[in-house]
Amino acid sequence: MIKNILFITSIFFSSASIAGALEVTIISAEAEERMNQGQSFAGITVEPDRPVLRAVELALFESKTLLQRLGFHDALNTLDIKPDRDLREQLLAISPSSLVILDIPLKTMLKVAPILNELKLVSFNVRHSEPTLRNSLCMDYLFHAIPSDHMYFDALSQFLIYRGWRKVLVVRGPSKKDDARAETLIVSLKKFGASIVDNRQFSLSHHPDDRDKNNPEFLTGGASYDVVAVIDSEKDYGRYLQYSTRKARPVVGDVGLTPKSWHFALERYGAPQLNERYRHFKKGDPLSSQVSMTDKEFAAWSAVKLVTNSLSANKKIGTNFDLLNLLKNPQSQVDLYKGTRGSVRLWNHQIRQPILLATPDTVVAVAPMPKFLHPKHYVDTLGLDEPESSCQLSKK
Amino acid sequence: MPSILNNKISSSLILSFMALMRHRLNPQRRPVWLIHVLTLILILASSRLAVGFEAVISNERSGDLVFLDESGNSLDIIKLCNRPRGMVQDRPKKLLYIACSDDNKVLEFNLQTKKIIREFLGIPGAMAVTLNTKSRRLFITNEGASKATVLDIDTGNLLSTLQTGFEPDGVIVSDDGSRIFVASENAGLIHVFDGNTYSAIQSIITSLRPRRMAIRNTELWISSEMGSRVEIFDLNTLLKIDEIIFAPKGFRSEQMTPVDILFDSTKKLSFVALGAANHVAIIDAETRSIEKYILVGRRAWGLGITPDDARLFVLNGLSDDATIIDLKTRRPIKTARTGLAPHSVEVFDR
Repeated sequence: MIKNILFITSIFFSSASIAGALEVTIISAEAEERMNQGQSFAGITVEPDRPVLRAVELALFESKTLLQRLGFHDALNTLDIKPDRDLREQLLAISPSSLVILDIPLKTMLKVAPILNELKLVSFNVRHSEPTLRNSLCMDYLFHAIPSDHMYFDALSQFLIYRGWRKVLVVRGPSKKDDARAETLIVSLKKFGASIVDNRQFSLSHHPDDRDKNNPEFLTGGASYDVVAVIDSEKDYGRYLQYSTRKARPVVGDVGLTPKSWHFALERYGAPQLNERYRHFKKGDPLSSQVSMTDKEFAAWSAVKLVTNSLSANKKIGTNFDLLNLLKNPQSQVDLYKGTRGSVRLWNHQIRQPILLATPDTVVAVAPMPKFLHPKHYVDTLGLDEPESSCQLSKK
Repeated sequence: MPSILNNKISSSLILSFMALMRHRLNPQRRPVWLIHVLTLILILASSRLAVGFEAVISNERSGDLVFLDESGNSLDIIKLCNRPRGMVQDRPKKLLYIACSDDNKVLEFNLQTKKIIREFLGIPGAMAVTLNTKSRRLFITNEGASKATVLDIDTGNLLSTLQTGFEPDGVIVSDDGSRIFVASENAGLIHVFDGNTYSAIQSIITSLRPRRMAIRNTELWISSEMGSRVEIFDLNTLLKIDEIIFAPKGFRSEQMTPVDILFDSTKKLSFVALGAANHVAIIDAETRSIEKYILVGRRAWGLGITPDDARLFVLNGLSDDATIIDLKTRRPIKTARTGLAPHSVEVFDR
């Protein structure tokens, strides 16, 4: 059922002008989330996974002054879909001019995105970094606000090369997802000139027969490497590797030094102000000091901000604007509080942005790293560049 | 006397003494010692000439003021407060107003005695400051509080509080005091207020993350840090006239993150600190064409100029130093150490 949870009427709304609206709808699938919510081992949550609602509310809260100035009011709806019922029927409830934020599991997004595309609803993937999506869901009305794994791993690879850690031992988990992500990591590492010393698989079993796979010392022994890169999508094993490798080497990837799109400890670019706002903008519901937006929340926040920031960059657009035209305009841009503005890669609708390289308590670097240059766009050394992408929406 | 001069003088003294000794041992040689003595005299003379202007730099992270002479020699360091940022001078009175962001206060500082005279307390997140010497009003932006504070600088009374968008930074007042402009970084707006009634008149939509402003005749110049440009608006109509895009060699447009804007005293030249691009741009303010990019330190933000337009001070927030540029040759002449995270610089007569 579609729920309207916030409706702010512009105080600038005069009788003479017809105010436009910026409407945002967040699609969730709570039933499916509950079904798939596996209890993490011993109740330890390694990575928080919150709904993106608070981040979207923040983006609208921040945009209020500008929207008023532009003569817009905003509205926020949530739509909780039941994946086992007729999706199209449920999605028809969304207002035709609404911006849609897809806060749903991958399986459902694969079904929902094509329907939204048919309905001509501009929607944003804010949760899934799978590079294949950027190709398989190559659609006019679908945008990806969360970085792709190509972007994350290109950032990590640039950092390793910049530090001179060229010999990489890849350690990956047993799942299909780990396989695919390890493949993407290796593509990135090779692209920037790193060498893969070995590509090994860990096992969660403690059985002595598997000790070459479950004992960190054995798993990382018998090889000469500068750094261990771990792919562990479920965050099951990787954290046991740090300080336990055969050689005294840093651990990067899904643990240790991790590529992230947002971090609570980013000190520059106005980030402390944004983090402070995120924690305190909801009166009566403050968050503690180390909490900040997850990458998913940051993606949802940046999707809404991309629209509001682009509204001021494209001043000719009236109040009856077309969302797709707005976003496909080369002038569209977003202030991401990361030192370089973000914008849309017109060929595959990915938001381009700098990537942070961070440990749990500090941001070590912001990629692109120095001396990694792109002929056209500063951050386009991260992720699939136009000639490499099989999705070519700008040429359609 | 600055240590660098001491070094030069002592080495010159030693050289002339050695030459004099050699000359005595062998009177047939040309009197080299004379040349060294002359050099010594020249150095002493130039050190006398250098007594002209002094720069004061606020350092966010070390919480102090660093004083440099116009050649970049360190004169003094004064521990001040938590996170001093924006500063403005009352030139006739030789006073300096300093925003202490993390102490929520503004200090009045005597530049001659180098002592704090007054403290204006309860000014949350004081960031940028500007002064209208005619109306005796001090304007302060309050970063976390999304507002700007207006003080009567003589009585210290709070006159008004102006509502802004999130993250207000730059604040400027038209020369006649009739208009107040406050930049909201987050909203991408310049809020315009009436200088007498303090009521909001309008807001100007800018490119991403407007930071600082400067006024030249009837033009309002606004730097847009994430929009990578300087936009020029007409002060009367508040409509956009022009914009300046930066492109030093080897950089992409989105790497330009301009912050401080400054005009020389004739308002013929404009200087823009290009932030992460580590350059400062010199612009012909009349034609709005960029004349030169000068490489400086890391994250160039704050700018200051000597009152005789001879030298430009550029603060490099991430390399903790200031680049001093000779504006005649348009070359950097010295990089001087500052405190940690230098923010603003003001230059005054010694």
